[in-house]
Amino acid sequence: MLNTIKQVFRSPRFLIGFIIFALMLLTVIFYPLFVKADPLAMVGNGNFFKPGTYVNVSETVTANRYTLNVDVSGAAKLDRQLNESDRSKMADWLIRFGGVDEAEIDTSDSVALVELWKNNYSPDADQPGLISTDKKSFERLDKRIDEILSSSGIIIATEEEDGTLTESETIDETSYVNINDLATTQTFVLGTDNFGRDVLTELVAATTTSLRIGLIAGLIATAIGLILGLIAGYLGGLVDDIITFITNLFTVIPSFVILILISYSVGQSARGVGLVAMIIGFTSWTWTTRSVRSQVISLRNRDHVNLSKLSGHSMFRIIFTDILPYIASYVVMALILQISSGILAEAQLSMLGLGPATTKTATLGLMMNWAMQYSAHLNGSWWAYFPVILTIALISFSLNLMNTGLDQVFNPQLRD
Amino acid sequence: MKMTKKSLLAMLLAVSMTASLASCGGNTTTTSTESTPSSTTSTEESSEAVSETSSETSGETETAGSTPRNETLYFAGQQWGTINDWNPMSANSNNAMAIAQSDMSRVLIYETLFMYNMLDGSLHGLLATDYEWNDDQTELTVHMNPDAKWSDGTPVTAEDVAYTFDTHVKYSSATGVDYATYIESVEAVDEGTVVFHSLCDDTGTPINPLKVLEYIPKVYVMQKAYLQTVEERNGSDAEAMKLDKMEDLVASGPYKPYYDDDQKVVFVRDDNYWGQAESMWGKLPAPKYIAHTIYADNNAGQVALAAGEVDVCQQFITDVQKLWEEQELPIMTYMDEAPYGLCTTMPTLWFNLTKPGLDQVEVRKAIAMAIDYDQIIASAMSNQSPTFAQVPRSIMNPTDGEQKLIDKDALADLQFNGKDIAGANALLDEAGIVDTDGDGIRDIDGVNLSYKAECPTGWTDWNASLEIVAAAGKEIGIDISTYFPDTNTFYNDMTTFNFDIVMNGTNGASVSNPWGRAMQLLSSTYNDLEINWSGNWGHYENARADELLALIPHETDEATLKEYYTELSQIYLTDVPSVSLMYRPQLFYSVNETVWTNYPEEGDDIPPTDCTDGYGIAALYELELVNP
Repeated sequence: MLNTIKQVFRSPRFLIGFIIFALMLLTVIFYPLFVKADPLAMVGNGNFFKPGTYVNVSETVTANRYTLNVDVSGAAKLDRQLNESDRSKMADWLIRFGGVDEAEIDTSDSVALVELWKNNYSPDADQPGLISTDKKSFERLDKRIDEILSSSGIIIATEEEDGTLTESETIDETSYVNINDLATTQTFVLGTDNFGRDVLTELVAATTTSLRIGLIAGLIATAIGLILGLIAGYLGGLVDDIITFITNLFTVIPSFVILILISYSVGQSARGVGLVAMIIGFTSWTWTTRSVRSQVISLRNRDHVNLSKLSGHSMFRIIFTDILPYIASYVVMALILQISSGILAEAQLSMLGLGPATTKTATLGLMMNWAMQYSAHLNGSWWAYFPVILTIALISFSLNLMNTGLDQVFNPQLRD
Repeated sequence: MKMTKKSLLAMLLAVSMTASLASCGGNTTTTSTESTPSSTTSTEESSEAVSETSSETSGETETAGSTPRNETLYFAGQQWGTINDWNPMSANSNNAMAIAQSDMSRVLIYETLFMYNMLDGSLHGLLATDYEWNDDQTELTVHMNPDAKWSDGTPVTAEDVAYTFDTHVKYSSATGVDYATYIESVEAVDEGTVVFHSLCDDTGTPINPLKVLEYIPKVYVMQKAYLQTVEERNGSDAEAMKLDKMEDLVASGPYKPYYDDDQKVVFVRDDNYWGQAESMWGKLPAPKYIAHTIYADNNAGQVALAAGEVDVCQQFITDVQKLWEEQELPIMTYMDEAPYGLCTTMPTLWFNLTKPGLDQVEVRKAIAMAIDYDQIIASAMSNQSPTFAQVPRSIMNPTDGEQKLIDKDALADLQFNGKDIAGANALLDEAGIVDTDGDGIRDIDGVNLSYKAECPTGWTDWNASLEIVAAAGKEIGIDISTYFPDTNTFYNDMTTFNFDIVMNGTNGASVSNPWGRAMQLLSSTYNDLEINWSGNWGHYENARADELLALIPHETDEATLKEYYTELSQIYLTDVPSVSLMYRPQLFYSVNETVWTNYPEEGDDIPPTDCTDGYGIAALYELELVNP
């Protein structure tokens, strides 16, 4: 036994798969110990906030200030915030509608350009041939320039009881705060989703759910498959015929269709994690039955089995001691694949809106479903769906890698 | 040996990938290795076959019904399936692009007497020029535009208007059934004058003058001669009349059917359109063709809009401002800032007032208090709605015209702001509705407060809103699960009173609103209907509300109206028979300026009704090509 395990771990494929899977398991176990937030809490008031650290604005006003002698005033600021295309847009407008001579314009001198712009641009100017969206983009650019110009010397004022504002301080352009001094920061490593939920926390919770569903579904499917396969293969005859008949029946009907029908008929309120896992388990056992049965048939006429029979051992004893150990490696491999396919089945179900309820559990499929419904893939919110896809891919990749690793160890034909 | 090892690894990787992709677990690696080559070939074969046929079909469609890009205005978000008929009397027409008889009817093919402009609430003449009431509002006289002609060149007369109404009533179309209870008859006095006679009660006062007025911007005028042809071929059978496809239609609008299949629908301009007379538009609409590709879903439509393949898009788009702010596309909405559109309707959560628990005002109010409306507006609605802090709750929509009809100070104490979990819990505890069996869900007489909140599947923003409602329920110990059936099932459930909680829109802007919306929210007159499409789906009943609702249509004094509407809003906010979740535009409106420009935007007098509905069609006459 120990020797077998050693051998298995010597297989690089198994080892890589195992490490990936173990890392995910560890994350799933330890992350919730450190981050206690509710994975379904809608924190962000809006769709798809970008990944990053969010700093409380009012705290930055009161926090400890440091003066850094970095030039952020005037020209340097304009240079940094107005990029090449902004400047050529400005130049273009000035020439076309502002009556400025092309020779006067130097796009590399942002200060002069902005001065020209402020003197000549007016949103109400007659702009023949310009479409509304372009007019609006110039208005936005003008507003942005105003903001850049005016952000020097922001004044903080406090409101008195009678409603008058009293200037309390002016914020200097060279003032900085250290992010470590701030107590109320919120970091979204993977941003937020369409409901404003923290994607990373949700992803960890979803992976836990998915692994649980995969494990339950895999265990159920493998158990049913194994038992039916053993009985059919060992007993043969009428029992075999009946079981094979039923198995074939279930093989022919696409299990995913049954899955959809059952999920739909039980209704959403009943569709918890356990039930979904059970439905998946009960619809995906057929291939295990078939393979176990064929292996048992080839085993049952071996000499050691016949010897046991002659010795008068009971059927259960023969199955457990003389047959099961020979197919154990296969069963483990089948279980691994069943887990992987159970996870994928849940993802598919939830994508169709037939998985667990959105407000009760986080699952990988639900995350994908909502990201797609809110067209995250169209508006550049990669963080809402890509990590989910990656997680699903890594789970099934690592499980399949472990499976092929095991196969390499146990299957004599593949051994090198 | 090394080579074999490498190829083996490659093969194993390929196998594991295929296995994981196809999710066919359970079989041994050996079997899957064997089955992989055959299955791969078969998929390749079938995909080749598919691509062949699809290239063939796309080749066909390019010739059939294809139109020059710079003469065509492309739409998205109106038509979602192959057109089934052109019949304005049909009960199950899906021809949204041509037939939409609503408060602002789509007047591309068929035309109404007047066009409603939701910006100022005015009626602009179309087939008619003007209207006037007599003093006791029993007769509405409408004068026809003498220039109006049918597509066959004959004039549109008063006789046509009268015959259209008679036909609707005679064959009990939905329109006929609705208006026969308010309009006694439509009389053609002479060729150019129509008189609508209000149906009166015993005392001789009209039952509802507002509904009479509502008819004229809503119902399409059909040609008498053509209707007689249709009657003849259907043997005057009511069912057959409503099922007639009317593909040979005679209408008066600026466009006529040109091409349609399961990929698209195209209308072509009628260059003899009567509206180029000086008395109407004085010219023809700019686009020669109106086309609507039938997209699979919202995402497909959005991609097409971004690519400039769609000019006018009636779809909800998440973070729509990113299209111009980040992607810098020539796309705009009616307003540059949130809420981006003109919100005139209020998607509302209707409680079934006969369900145990929901029959108690405390439970309804607690749910209403707990819901996080800001979250719904910011995330589910992507900020495309004013918040309830900006426009406090009442039975009014956010437009100025309606808001001035209520006394906001009188309603201030009744407002609830949402996300008030503590308040909602306290309210339920005080009412003695507690969790007695310790399962985390409150119960009444041992029955858990457990409800199903329902809206059609695929209505993304509504689905998300209901999820946020369900999350609120979880916080206050009321189990609300979401249920998203297909649209037909949903409407079936809603109209037959077979639901716990449904989400549905309210009336938007029209000549008969806010009265019509007040009816929807509070009137018990719909409670006895077997199939109720009209309103008050939760069967609320309040005698005082009914009384007020009956008074309003006869009242013209604004101060009295304000009093009535304020009292109705007080009743509404006190009893919470339903609760609005957000404000919403009647039509979403995003336009792309790649080909066409000069679309209506904030500040214009043309409403953003997608260049097709009500007075919004005036936009078609203003459009210009970006590169003529």
